[in-house]
Amino acid sequence: MQMTGRLKLWAADWALRRQGRDQPDVTLKRRRIYILPTRFGAAFAALVFAMLLGSLNYGASLGFGLTFLLAGLMLVIMHHCHNNLLGTQVRFAGAPPVFAGQPAEFRIGLSNAASVTRYELEVAYRGQAGQPVDIEAGQSKHLTIEVPAQKRGRLPLQRFAVATRHPGNLFRAWTWIHMDAQCLVYPRPAPAGRPLPESYASEGSRMSAEHDEADFAGLRPAVRGDSLARIAWKAYARSGELLLKQFASGDLQPHMLDWDTLTDLEPEARLSQLTRWCLDMAANMRSFGLRLPGKTIPLGSGDRHLSECLRALALHEAPAT
Amino acid sequence: MKTPAASTIPLNRLLWTASVVVGASLPHWFELSIWIPLLLGTAIVWRLAAAVSGWRLPNRAIRMLFAFMAFTAVLMQYHTINGVTAGSALLVVMVALKFLEAHSQRDELVLMIIAYFLVFASLLYERGLWVGIYLLAFVWITTLGLLQLGRRGQLRPSWPTAKLAGRLLLQAVPLMIVLFLLFPRLPGPIWGIPGDTSSGASGLSDSMSPGDITDLGLSDEVAFRAEFYGSPPTADKLYWRGPVLSAFNGRSWTREPGMRRQVLDDIEFQGDPTEYRVMLEPHGRNWAFALDMPREWSGRRDIVMGSDYQLRVMFRDGIDTRIDYEVVSFPTYRAIEPMGPNELDRFRMLPEDSNPRTRALVASWLDDNPSDEQIIERALNVFRGEQFFYTLTPPALGRHTADEFIFETREGFCEHYASAFTIMMRAAGLPARVVTGYQGGELNGIGDYYIVRQSDAHAWTEVWFQNEGWVRVDPIVAVAPERIALGSSRASLRSETASRAGLARLAWIRNAVFAWDALNTYWNDWIIGYGPRLQRAILRSLGFERPRWPELLLATVIATACVLVGLSLYLAWGFRRKLRQDPAARWFERFDAKLARAKVASRKPSETPEAYAARAATELPESANEIGRVVGSYLKARYEPDSQRRWLRDLETLVRSFKPARQ
Repeated sequence: MQMTGRLKLWAADWALRRQGRDQPDVTLKRRRIYILPTRFGAAFAALVFAMLLGSLNYGASLGFGLTFLLAGLMLVIMHHCHNNLLGTQVRFAGAPPVFAGQPAEFRIGLSNAASVTRYELEVAYRGQAGQPVDIEAGQSKHLTIEVPAQKRGRLPLQRFAVATRHPGNLFRAWTWIHMDAQCLVYPRPAPAGRPLPESYASEGSRMSAEHDEADFAGLRPAVRGDSLARIAWKAYARSGELLLKQFASGDLQPHMLDWDTLTDLEPEARLSQLTRWCLDMAANMRSFGLRLPGKTIPLGSGDRHLSECLRALALHEAPAT
Repeated sequence: MKTPAASTIPLNRLLWTASVVVGASLPHWFELSIWIPLLLGTAIVWRLAAAVSGWRLPNRAIRMLFAFMAFTAVLMQYHTINGVTAGSALLVVMVALKFLEAHSQRDELVLMIIAYFLVFASLLYERGLWVGIYLLAFVWITTLGLLQLGRRGQLRPSWPTAKLAGRLLLQAVPLMIVLFLLFPRLPGPIWGIPGDTSSGASGLSDSMSPGDITDLGLSDEVAFRAEFYGSPPTADKLYWRGPVLSAFNGRSWTREPGMRRQVLDDIEFQGDPTEYRVMLEPHGRNWAFALDMPREWSGRRDIVMGSDYQLRVMFRDGIDTRIDYEVVSFPTYRAIEPMGPNELDRFRMLPEDSNPRTRALVASWLDDNPSDEQIIERALNVFRGEQFFYTLTPPALGRHTADEFIFETREGFCEHYASAFTIMMRAAGLPARVVTGYQGGELNGIGDYYIVRQSDAHAWTEVWFQNEGWVRVDPIVAVAPERIALGSSRASLRSETASRAGLARLAWIRNAVFAWDALNTYWNDWIIGYGPRLQRAILRSLGFERPRWPELLLATVIATACVLVGLSLYLAWGFRRKLRQDPAARWFERFDAKLARAKVASRKPSETPEAYAARAATELPESANEIGRVVGSYLKARYEPDSQRRWLRDLETLVRSFKPARQ
């Protein structure tokens, strides 16, 4: 298994040298489509060979007929399998940012400009093929590749394959694609609980604690990264929609979240903690700013501001010490 | 290993698998003992019930037990697992057990492979035209199953998939034909054939006891077919020689191990030869039938003539496959076999105590010292003068068959007459023997050949004369001459009650039967019988003088490569056409190019055709009219499917003739 794995890697690298890196929108040409029999295809070929021996031994003419028909069928299927992929347009359709620890979802758009349906197209990443789709003439579909995001930063999709086994699962035609596809990975949010530094928020300790019902100001749809503690679970049970409780605490005083206040933590842990605070602040509709070594984001609020902060945290480079 | 969950394969996939499996095992059902198809049926029903209404499937231990029991049963029944019948029994059993535990796509595909192999196994012993037709249907259905089960997603609708399967198969046909014609065929088996393929002996046997048979069933089974290269001899010359019976024990005639003697050189052939080809059905013996008297034969090297002039094929276990050979016979001949007195006595031998009345009758003829011819004439007169009947349902005879037949029952068929006549000859001291074989045959006008059936089986007598050698005497001619004249027994004997009008009304049935037989014969000749010999003949006609293995292999490789290249080009071109964008868009692109030459910036991807046209019209006000018309017909050609063709033509002429007025 390791042997074939290494062989596959070598072949893919060879393909990369041969075809170069791809544009974000690529039409599959003949030269870059590879095809090999599947395991079932190999069994089928062995069957045909056994039939050939049997026919020779028994001098069975009908046996020869069936043998050669199946051999011909296999070769015809090989061409159809190849054509099924030929001319497909592959496009990187973006990957929404995720937090470290979550799977990154790369969206791959496949378009069929031909006048016939393409069957059972699939994308494969590291040998794992996703669910195949049929694409009607002139249509497009999106497939996702899930890649576990371990570390914050930019997660590139090094290489993936677009493949098909139609018709009959005898062959697998595939192409390797190397696109500049990246997913932004935010730091993993630290567990809730650590209060805001005193110097910045006299009442910061109240932030992540319970709120008085009187402060309740309404619900808004929950977004990724929101504190679980503030999900309106009762509303969820009623409507099936994740909503976040918002509180009009009088505490709308802006905060500047500062890297330097977390001296007790490792750099990555600091980033995690800052991420947590950013999320909490945004959830409370409070305005906040971010101060990192070498980068300062002024006070602000709203989704765009939050994204900007998270992006800065994701891409933060530790200063050389 | 856990117990398979019934729900892992959707029902429609299971049904496809089941139909492929049933279709593949169908030809075997009639060959196998009944419990095997029943086992398969039970397994399928059980598995389907598990999928539909959640029946419990057997767990692994029980399945192992089933497998062990089934395997033992097969072994006990067939005493082997080798050979086609036992092998296919085992395969069907395996299919049944595998089907019961099928729970993934992999299992389905394994079943597909076994199904293909099962059908292949049936081709080793089934050869008829029906099998060919069945095979085509099966391959189509199975390919359809392959396309469906090969999918990981939802199954497609059946009909479009069936069309795709048909198209794939049609595209595979040229390669099949080339390989079928050219792939080197071997004259014999590579590692020997497990000995269960030979069908049981049918037709003639090597002994004859006229008194035992009280109902001669006339089987319509074909013994062989014969195609004459010139005009065929008249029906009364169509004596196809089979086993010669010369040993008589008082009741039964049997074959006698003949002298190993080269008899061919002593035959004097006279008159014109008759050339023909015999297509012999397997009959489990090694007799090759030929018209009296064969001089040359070709097509097989292993045919030899015995001292009784019978041709034999050197098959160790009897002829178990269709063979064909060509013979040159001379209907007129003198079969002089020089024999010493001892040898001649063998052909005069009668057990002392057998048929006393017949012997007495013959002895009474000898008083006035008749010539040999006169004796024969008198013996035939016995049958002519008295009330003798030709019947297929004669009464049983006791110990002295000739006595009872001649003096009492007087009913019998050819064997009775031949036996009694030969006994009379021997009683008169003339060396004589019984010859069995076939007489006549039915001309199939559609295929232009004779069909000789088991019902044409016949027996006659050969008498030896000093100067003439063995001379054929057929006592049946004395009783039922029409049997010989017509060359066929059925019309005159079997349907005594059927009126001529009835037969005429059935003429179309007869023609249909002939057509079917002709079709079968072509099938047998060109498909089933396609072997080394026919292959060499075809290659010779293609210009290969003496094709040998390596050349044949080379020719196969080259021809296959040619077909493959042709196939690739055909499929690639076909798909290129489908890949190309639609013609309207192409013409519009050309229009765009023309405008670009007139310095109108190309259409932006975001720009609608109308907006583009409006922009172009403002830039080229003098051509505004034409631009408007081009865009109008383009939009109609693209988006009005009903009248597309007309608009496409308009678009084409408009774009062709479009000349932007230069600014």
